[in-house]
Order: sequence, then C-alpha cells, then structure tokens
Amino acid sequence: MAETLVIETADLRKDYGGIEAVRGLNLQVPPGSIFALLGRNGAGKTSTIKILLGMSRPTSGRARVFGLAADRPDASVAIRRRTGFVSEEKDLYDLMTVEQIIRFTASFYSGWRTDLEKRYLGSFELPRGRKVKDLSRGMRTKLALLLAFSRGAELLVLDEPTSGLDPAVTEEVLQTLVAHVANQEMTVFLSSHHLTDVDQVADRIAIIDHGRAVVSGALEDLRDGYRRIQLVFDGEAPEPAFHAPGVVHTQRRGRVLMVLCSMGVEQILHEARALNPASVEVMPVTLKEIFLETVNGEN
Amino acid sequence: MPWYKAWLDTRWRFLIPLGILVLNIWGLILEYPHVASLLRTVHLEADALSESGVLGRAILESVAAERTYRGYIWFQWFRQNLSQMGTLFAVLLGSGSLLSGSSGGGTMFTLSLPASRNRWLAARAAVGLGESLLLVLIPSLEICLVSRLIGQQYGLADAVVHSVCLFIAGTVFFSLAFLLSTVFTDIWRPLLITCGVAVVLSLCESSLDMNGLFRVMSASTYFAAGSIPWTGLLISVVMSAAMLFGASVNVARRDF
Repeated sequence: MAETLVIETADLRKDYGGIEAVRGLNLQVPPGSIFALLGRNGAGKTSTIKILLGMSRPTSGRARVFGLAADRPDASVAIRRRTGFVSEEKDLYDLMTVEQIIRFTASFYSGWRTDLEKRYLGSFELPRGRKVKDLSRGMRTKLALLLAFSRGAELLVLDEPTSGLDPAVTEEVLQTLVAHVANQEMTVFLSSHHLTDVDQVADRIAIIDHGRAVVSGALEDLRDGYRRIQLVFDGEAPEPAFHAPGVVHTQRRGRVLMVLCSMGVEQILHEARALNPASVEVMPVTLKEIFLETVNGEN
Repeated sequence: MPWYKAWLDTRWRFLIPLGILVLNIWGLILEYPHVASLLRTVHLEADALSESGVLGRAILESVAAERTYRGYIWFQWFRQNLSQMGTLFAVLLGSGSLLSGSSGGGTMFTLSLPASRNRWLAARAAVGLGESLLLVLIPSLEICLVSRLIGQQYGLADAVVHSVCLFIAGTVFFSLAFLLSTVFTDIWRPLLITCGVAVVLSLCESSLDMNGLFRVMSASTYFAAGSIPWTGLLISVVMSAAMLFGASVNVARRDF
C-alpha cells in the first residue's frame, strides 16, 4: 500500500496477569477511512485502543499510529496531539463546568477549532455553565464528541461511542459523526458491538474475537464476498466436506445444509451440486450474520 | 494546564484547612493573656516531675517554654497544633493522585490529552507542595500581625524559619501519601497508611526521646539555640525526592 497507514498493528499482544486480552492482532487502518473494530464485550477492543493511545503497553508485537511507536512515551504524546478520543465511560472531569472543560482541553491544542466548538455547542445545546457531573449520559457523550472534534485531530478514536444512549441520541450522534468526517479530512477508528451503528457509518471493519482479528476488510467487499448457500436434500443432509477455500462455517440441520462462505462462491457451488441437493439457493448476508457466524464459528 | 486540574482537585483540601488554621491562630493568641496569668501562679516540683516519666517531662517542658510569649507560640503552635494538623493536611493534599481516578474522575480523558504522565504528576506534586507551604506559612505570618492586638510581638524570622522547617519535614508525609496514591486507586488507603506511619513515628519519638521527623518539624534546636536543623532538613528533602521519584516510576510503568 503506497499511502501511509494511520494505524498499524502487527502480532500485537497484551497479557493482564496471565489473561490474554489481545492475542496477535493485525490491523491496518488506511487514512480517510471509518474503521470499525467489532467484537463482543471482552473481545479486546478497549485494550487495543488503550495500547494505541499509550495508556497501556503491549506485552509483545507492534502498534504504530501515524507511523509512530505507540509504546514510546514521547511518541505517544505526539500521537495524542493529533488524535481525538471518546472513552466508553465518557469519563470527563465531574468538577468542571462545560465551559471550563472546553477551555481546559483547548489549552493543550495549538490548532483548537473554535469554529467547531461554537458549532457543536449550539447544535448539541450544551449548557456552558452546568457541571459535567450534572449532565445526562447523552449530554456527556455530546460534550466528549465536541472535545474530540474541536481538537482539530487527524484521527478520531471512539470507544463504544453510542454505548448506553437511547435510539434518538444514538442516531443524532452517528449523523453528527458522519457529517463531521465528511467535512474534515480525518480517519475514524471506532469500536462497537452495535452492528447497526457500524453498518451505518463504517467503510472498513475488523471483527475481533478473543483478542485477534477473525475478519477484516472493506465493508462493501465483505458484503459482496460473503454469501449463504442453502442446500435442501430429499433425505438427511450429508456430512459436508468442502475443499474449496472460503468456507467459513457449515451447519447441518435435518434435510438442510447451510454454508457460509467469504469468497469463491462458484467453486463452492460446484462442489455443493456434486452432493445432489434437491435445491440450491444463494443468499446475501448481513453484517450481523457475518459477525455472528464468524464469532460463533470461532468458538 | 495540568496545574489547573491539580488545583481544582485539591482546592477544598487546601482552603478548608487554611480556614481552620487561620481561625485557630486567633484563639491561640487571644488565649495567651489567660495562660500567662495562670502560669504565674503555677509552681512545679521540677525534680518530681522529671522523674515521673514521659508525661511529667512533657508538662515540665511545656511550662518552662510557655513562660515567654515566643515560647508559648513555639510550643502551642509550631510544636503541637501545626505539627499535628500540618501533617494531617499534608497527607490529605498528597493523597489521591491525578491519575488515580479518586480525584474528580476522568483518568482516561486525562491520559488522552497530549501531556506526558510525568508532566501530570509534576504539576500535581508542585500544586500540592505549594499548598502545603502556604498552609503553614500564612497562619504563621498571621501570628506576627495578630500578636500586636494583645500587645505582644512575634518575630517574622522566627515565623518563617519554623514554617519552612515544618513544611520541609512535612513533605516526607506528603510524598509518602503521593507515592502510595500511585499504588492504590482509592484515596483512603494512602491517607490511612500515611497517618498510621505518622502516629507510630510520633509515639516512638516521644516515648524513646529520640531525634526524628517531628523534632525537625518543630525546629526545637532553632527555638532553643537558634540553630537550624540542617541535617534533618536535608534528610527530609532526600526522602521526599526519593518517594516522588518512586511515584513517577510507578506511574510510568502502570497500565490504565
């Protein structure tokens, strides 16, 4: 790839006292993309983000952001200067007012975008004088987004940005995110287990399970490549034995044999027809199905 | 502006004690005429008291010191009230590191800002130490002013020397609480452990009649003979610096 990757991890591992949170994770996030890290709770998403932002050190492997080693303290400061971050808990300073935390955060960034600050203060209807501890979860999320957007960052890292929000606020947050990214030249790296959110905003995804990426690529390519083949037999479905590459998962239930494939549908179909099914049907697959089949298949 | 965050986290732990100490000075000084007239009527059996153990010796020392206004201020304020309260307040200010999550929340937000962990820690230590210094200095300087109300005088040099000695020796407790706050995530364990250490140290010093941190804090050698306890102060500075360095190493290695 000619263009420099914004985020790159290679065989990244993180061990917390014998528990492996991240196990050989390989990620490549190109500039300008909205990259979603999908995974169940405890899959290693937050651990990965903490490593990328220098909050936690990898046990082994490599993590680079903007080409800088994330585990070097000085490089980590440089990375954070170019990155906006929203944590899952939206843990801001409870003692400060909205105005104070904005001024406080702005003091760290020479390129602070006052225009964006004013725009989002207005559109989010954030009360400047209210203490952060008195804000609702939705308001805190909006404030956290304002603080991340206004940094003038090249990279936004969002850890479960819509976690705990009602559908209306979730929609508002996602719309704002998409509109913001469309107007600014930036990369977004977000983690989520909300598949509909990811489906709505991401253009690239990685499904992470037990600390490693089990599926990765452009969302469109995944949607195009993944297919579900349903084979119905007159009698009991035979034991599947496909040799073609791309078979992710097979499931036999009575007369029906379901095959989930990630590529090479024609070759798999050729093998399937050799089993003499009564009917063959090829169906598109949703992101939710890809996620569930992949994660369940891994287990 | 890490210092601003440090100030917001600690301001009530500074302002409330400052208010208490400033008010305490008024009570102490306005009480002096009564104490002085009372002491004039007291005649102690010095030999019997000195042989009666720790308590007897303490009474003897107290009465002997408090026969002058300078001695009264030294004994009541620098040796007792400020040593004890100053220690407690220094521990309070040192507890709850900026990154421990016990001070206003937002640890992840703090760590996402482009400042090194050492910068956060240095700002927190500097603000806490500055507040500790003001906590002992302001009420002590107040003595020089308020003393005139009862027709007494207290030297500015005495107030400054005693305050600075108390502050420097007190930094040991501040730094211990600061170090422990990089180990424990809550505010209570650093606070309680450091207070426990201070109490044990104080009991050992008084019962074994040994030279220790509290003697350096009260600068008894300066009061008695005008000699500043340089060795004790130097040891205090070295111990504090070592613990602050330990805190910095701890935070640098820590995963959040």
